Amino acid sequence: MGTTQQKLNVRGIEIGVHRGGSGEPLLYLHSASAESTAWNPAFEALAVEYDVIAPIHPGFPGSGGLERIHDIGDLVLHYVDLLDRLGLRRAHVVGSSLGGWIAAELASLYPERVGSAVLAAAAGLWLDEAPMAEVFGVPPGQLAERLFHDQRHPMAQMLHAAGESSWDTPPPDDVLLAFHQSTEATARVAWNPYFHDPSLEGRLDRVRAPTLLLWGAEDRVLPLAHAERYRERIAGAVLRTIPACGHLPVIEKPEQFAGEVATFLRRHPLASSGSAAA
Amino acid sequence: MKFFFFHLMPWPHLPHDYEGSAWITCPNANYDPQKGHGLYNRYLDELVYAEELGFDGVVVNEHHANAYGNMPSPNLIASILARQTSRVRIAVVGNALPLYDPPTRVAEEFAMIDVISGGRLIAGMVVGGGPEYYANSINPTYAREKFYEAHDLIVQAWTRPGPFTFSGKHYRMRYVNPWPRPLQQPHPPIWIPGAGSLETMEFCARRHYAYMGIPYFHKRVFQRNFDFMREACEKEGYTPDPEQLGWLTPVYVAETDEQAWKEYEPHLFYFAHKLLAGIETAPPGYTSAKSILRIAQSRGDFMINVQTRREVEDGGYAIVGSVETVREKMSEAIESFGVGNVLALLQLGTLPADLTRKNMELYAREVLPYLRRRFGGATADAA
Repeated sequence: MGTTQQKLNVRGIEIGVHRGGSGEPLLYLHSASAESTAWNPAFEALAVEYDVIAPIHPGFPGSGGLERIHDIGDLVLHYVDLLDRLGLRRAHVVGSSLGGWIAAELASLYPERVGSAVLAAAAGLWLDEAPMAEVFGVPPGQLAERLFHDQRHPMAQMLHAAGESSWDTPPPDDVLLAFHQSTEATARVAWNPYFHDPSLEGRLDRVRAPTLLLWGAEDRVLPLAHAERYRERIAGAVLRTIPACGHLPVIEKPEQFAGEVATFLRRHPLASSGSAAA
Repeated sequence: MKFFFFHLMPWPHLPHDYEGSAWITCPNANYDPQKGHGLYNRYLDELVYAEELGFDGVVVNEHHANAYGNMPSPNLIASILARQTSRVRIAVVGNALPLYDPPTRVAEEFAMIDVISGGRLIAGMVVGGGPEYYANSINPTYAREKFYEAHDLIVQAWTRPGPFTFSGKHYRMRYVNPWPRPLQQPHPPIWIPGAGSLETMEFCARRHYAYMGIPYFHKRVFQRNFDFMREACEKEGYTPDPEQLGWLTPVYVAETDEQAWKEYEPHLFYFAHKLLAGIETAPPGYTSAKSILRIAQSRGDFMINVQTRREVEDGGYAIVGSVETVREKMSEAIESFGVGNVLALLQLGTLPADLTRKNMELYAREVLPYLRRRFGGATADAA
C-alpha cells in the first residue's frame, strides 16, 4: 500500500501525518501511546477501502504546537481545522482512548463534520463506580500489565524490559524523550479532570453520526462500564468487544480492530448522507 | 558564612514491613494524631532550641500527603517560630507556588511572618516536588510557567504600590493590594531550592537569588550543580557571593566515629529507604527535556539506592562521625562546593529526641565554632 508521510501546517501548527489508501476519508485519532507516529498494521488493513489519514496530535513526537493546546477543546478545534485544511467537509472519525475522547467531543460539538464515529476504548467520561485506572507515573512493567491482555505482545515486552533496566543501562535518550513528550502532551489535556470532560456526557445527545463503541473485552484501564454509558447516551450506538484484548485493540489486535471498523463503516458510507468534499 | 538548622518533621512510625511509597498513596491510616501531637511539639522544641544553641537560622519546608515531612503548611510552623524565637532567621524553603491560587496568598502569609518576626523571614519559593502535582491535582505541564508567573506576581505584590492589576497567562487579578506589606525592604531575601534543574539555576543567577541544592545526592552531583550555578552567575556578568549558594546535608556527630554510626545508621536507613521512597516521582511535563536527561543521569547517584555505610561515606550522602571527622568532612565540602550557607539536617527519619539533642549540641558547640573560625561568619550569642 502506498503511504505518504508528510508535514502539514494547520493554522500555524506543524504536524506530522501518515496517509495511505483510497476511498472515503477516515481520520484516525491516536491514543497516548502515539501509535500514529508509524504506519500501523491496522491502518494498512483499513487503507484497502479507505483514505486513511493518521495525524500526530500537537505536542506528540513528530508534531509541534503544544503551546497552543490547553484543553481538550483546543484539540477538537485543531481537528476541525485539519479537516478544513484537507478540504474535507466530513469524514469517518476513528479514535482510540485519548483519540476516542477527541472523536466523541468532535461528534457532539461538530456533528456535521463526522460521517460515522468509532470510539475505541474512548476516554472522556467519568464514572465514580468505574474510574479509569492511573496511567501517569506508573512503572513501565505495571503499565504493560494494565494496557495489554497478552504480556507477550512486543510493546508489552518492551515496557517490561524498560522496567527492568537498571540505572546503568537506561533506555536510549531518544526513546526516553519520546516517551516523556507523549506523556507531557497527554497530561496537558488529561491530568485534571483526569481523562474526561465533565460537560461531554450532557451533550452526547447531539451526536448524529452512527457510532460504534469498540472495546477490548479485557480492558483494565477503561472499564467496559464506560462503553455502556456511551451507548446509553448516544442514540443508536452499537457496542462490540474484541475477546482476549486489553485497552488498545489497535495495537494489540490490529486485524480484528480493522475488521470491526471496516464492517461498521461499510454499513454507513458517507455517500449515503452527503458528500465528503468541501 | 551562615549556619542553619533544618527540620523536615518526618513521620517516624511507618510499620516495619511497610514497603510502599511514602508519598501520594501512603495510607494515612498510618498517621496517628495522638503521636502527631507529641511529635509536632517535640520538633518545634528542637527548632526553638537551635536558636539557643547559636544557629544563624532555622529552616522548614512544604510537602503534602506524605510521611517524609509533615509540614503541608510550613507557614504555620514559621509563624509559631516567629513568636517563639527572637533572633534567628526563619527560612521557609519554600512555598510551592503553583499550588497556591491565587499566589497572592503566599505574598500575604510571608509578609505576615516577616512583620511578626521583625524582618527575620527568608522567603523560599519552589516549583514543588513531583509528588505534589499528584497530591494536589495540579497540571504539571504548567509547573514552570506557573512558578515563574506566580513569582513575578508575588514580587510585584511586595514592591509595587497597590492596588494594581495583574494580567498573566495563568493568573489574572484585578485588585492586587496585599496587607500587610513585608517589613524587609524591598522584600525578604528569596531562596530557591533545586535538584539540579538548569532552568532553576539560571533563574537564580539572573535574579541574584540564593540557590539551595537539594540533598540526598552523591557529592559529585552537588559539585556539578554548584559549579553550574557559578558559571550561570558569571554568564550574567558577576561572581556570586558564597551566600548565594546553599548546601543542605544530613549531619550526625557523636563521641567517636564508631559510636556515631552505631547510633545513627538505623535512623539514616529508615529515612533513605522508607521516607525517600517515591520522592523522585516526576510527573509528565514537570521538567524540560534537557533536564530530564540530566536528572536521569543523576538518579543512580540518589541516596535511595545506597545500601551501606561505606557508600554513604564515599558519596558524602551524610556527614557522620566524631567531632574531628565531621569538622574535616564539612570543611572539605564547604571549600570544594564554595557554599556560604550550610543547612544541617540534624534530625532525620526515626532519630529520637535524646539523640537529636545530643547531635545538635555537639554540632553547635564543637563543629560550628570551628567552621566559623575557619570560614568566617559572626559568632552568634550562643548560650
